[in-house]
Amino acid sequence: MEKFKKVISQYPFLGFIIAYLVLLCVPTIFFTDLYQSHLSSLIFVNIIVAAGLNIVKGYCGQVTVGHVGLYAVGSYTAGCMFMYLGSDLWLTLPAAIIVTGLFGIAFGIPSFRLEGPYLALATLGGGEAIRLFIENGEFFGSTYGISSISQPVIFGVPFDTPDKYYYISMPVMLIAVYFSYSILKSSIGRAFMSVREDPISAAASGIDIKKYKILAFILSAMFAGAAGAVYAHLPPGYIHPNNYTVIEMVTFLAMVVFGGLGHIWGGIIGAIIITIVYDLTRPLYEYQLFIFGLTIVLTILFMPKGIGGFIDKIFIDKRFKKKKVEEGK
Amino acid sequence: MLLKTKNLMKAFGGLKAIDKVDFELPAGEIRGIIGPNGSGKSTFFNLVSGVYDPDPGSYIEFDGHDITNEPPHKIGALGLSRTFQLLRLYQDMSVINNVMSGYHTRVKYKFFDAVIGRKKIWDQEKEIKDEMMELLSFVGLADYAELNASELSGGQRRLLVLARAIAMKPKLLMLDEPAAGLSPVNVDNLMKIIMQLKDKYGLTLIIIEHILKVVMDTCNTVTVLDHGQKIAEGTPSQVKDDNAVIEAYLGKKMNDEEMRKALAV
Repeated sequence: MEKFKKVISQYPFLGFIIAYLVLLCVPTIFFTDLYQSHLSSLIFVNIIVAAGLNIVKGYCGQVTVGHVGLYAVGSYTAGCMFMYLGSDLWLTLPAAIIVTGLFGIAFGIPSFRLEGPYLALATLGGGEAIRLFIENGEFFGSTYGISSISQPVIFGVPFDTPDKYYYISMPVMLIAVYFSYSILKSSIGRAFMSVREDPISAAASGIDIKKYKILAFILSAMFAGAAGAVYAHLPPGYIHPNNYTVIEMVTFLAMVVFGGLGHIWGGIIGAIIITIVYDLTRPLYEYQLFIFGLTIVLTILFMPKGIGGFIDKIFIDKRFKKKKVEEGK
Repeated sequence: MLLKTKNLMKAFGGLKAIDKVDFELPAGEIRGIIGPNGSGKSTFFNLVSGVYDPDPGSYIEFDGHDITNEPPHKIGALGLSRTFQLLRLYQDMSVINNVMSGYHTRVKYKFFDAVIGRKKIWDQEKEIKDEMMELLSFVGLADYAELNASELSGGQRRLLVLARAIAMKPKLLMLDEPAAGLSPVNVDNLMKIIMQLKDKYGLTLIIIEHILKVVMDTCNTVTVLDHGQKIAEGTPSQVKDDNAVIEAYLGKKMNDEEMRKALAV
């Protein structure tokens, strides 16, 4: 086990290949109907968004509430490319990532001067503006949305049902998580954290604050863009401005907060749990938002670092105590 | 000269926090800066390290580079490291991450390598971690590496800040009251560690300190500031007997005539 851990820490890529193989087998073993495949694709989309949001909010500490706008940009880039050019996922995905990255710059620039709640308000305005722009634009299909966006075809096999689309969304999610892992584990992640904790002290250590703030915004925007494109092509391939409201934003925030702000797996844990809970509580539709609001408040009160931080703490305390006991002997 | 300032000025509104200070520091020296509260010592640090922009007409040179209006991260990258009076630790990061983020300017791999997670990243990260663990065990914090910085005691935090500033392997280390709030035993311990680090890394030091024993015992030369002006400079024993310095700290002796005048106003 120790040896295995050592190998993984040196070649994290292997860990992701193992995860890929495991996830490949999951549907055939566990899934009984199409809905479960559909739900897992949704989970994967949410994981991508939450992993990106964790970079800018959890690691870099920039409070952004307009992330859902970037997610919408990703979706509509894909949707419009399909509608006007007939492109499929292989083209729309990279295009969505690039376009959303550019939008990320626009969202990041206010962070040079604004902080905390003020930045939150500025980005909230940005996100809502994007949604309203889409809703009122004929070009974007206005309130009709864009429907029957095509699914990719590989070697003549169309991936047009939820159980097949699973094999498209899953690798995209794994690649995104792998990128987020390697970014956050490297010196870039540490620079993000020090900008969050104390910008002045970070600058004294030679960290360019503006560069890292904007980088965090761009990276997380790219994640949102990728998620948006995958979501747009998700069967039945229908996107509507109502999918990108502040309520969705609150759900994304709940994922990151509940999973653990600034924890490397935080967004992922949160996305899995919240998406499943959200789905199971659909009968209680009226109370859902209330429950999510309450979850955020209670998590911040009693588990400020979320589930990820809570688990970490247990292990670190255990190791620390063990060390102390060994020294005592 | 490693650090040179010429005609350094900074005014906050009408208050001249630093007033025409010329300062020269050769490499390898330990320089103490003393002065009463509000005399501009910390402002001097902030000007040199780029936290504040100096007023026009000032000139700061570090290691042959003009750093007068450079942003702090560029000055840091040139090899000038500093600590803060209020520590400014990264509270919510583990001790080892605190120190490793001080290493930032020395990280060799490129941004793109980190994004795609090439193997050399993980190799280098491991090297960095080993080196930083060594530094931590040198200052005596190795056991606490995985704890949050906010869980450390006051004395340990002072050591951690020191380690973080050293991690970038600076040429010049500026310490802003490194021993504030420590007990006498801890002060001696801290100064011993600072001196060992100086020898190990070949540092040049500037120390602001209110504990005069520390300054008198360790510094080669001492600069005294008062009301933003440099009023004396010399070896500790010279400075100790300087009239201007005694006046700044204890006040001036008045004759009867002056006393009467002062009370009448």
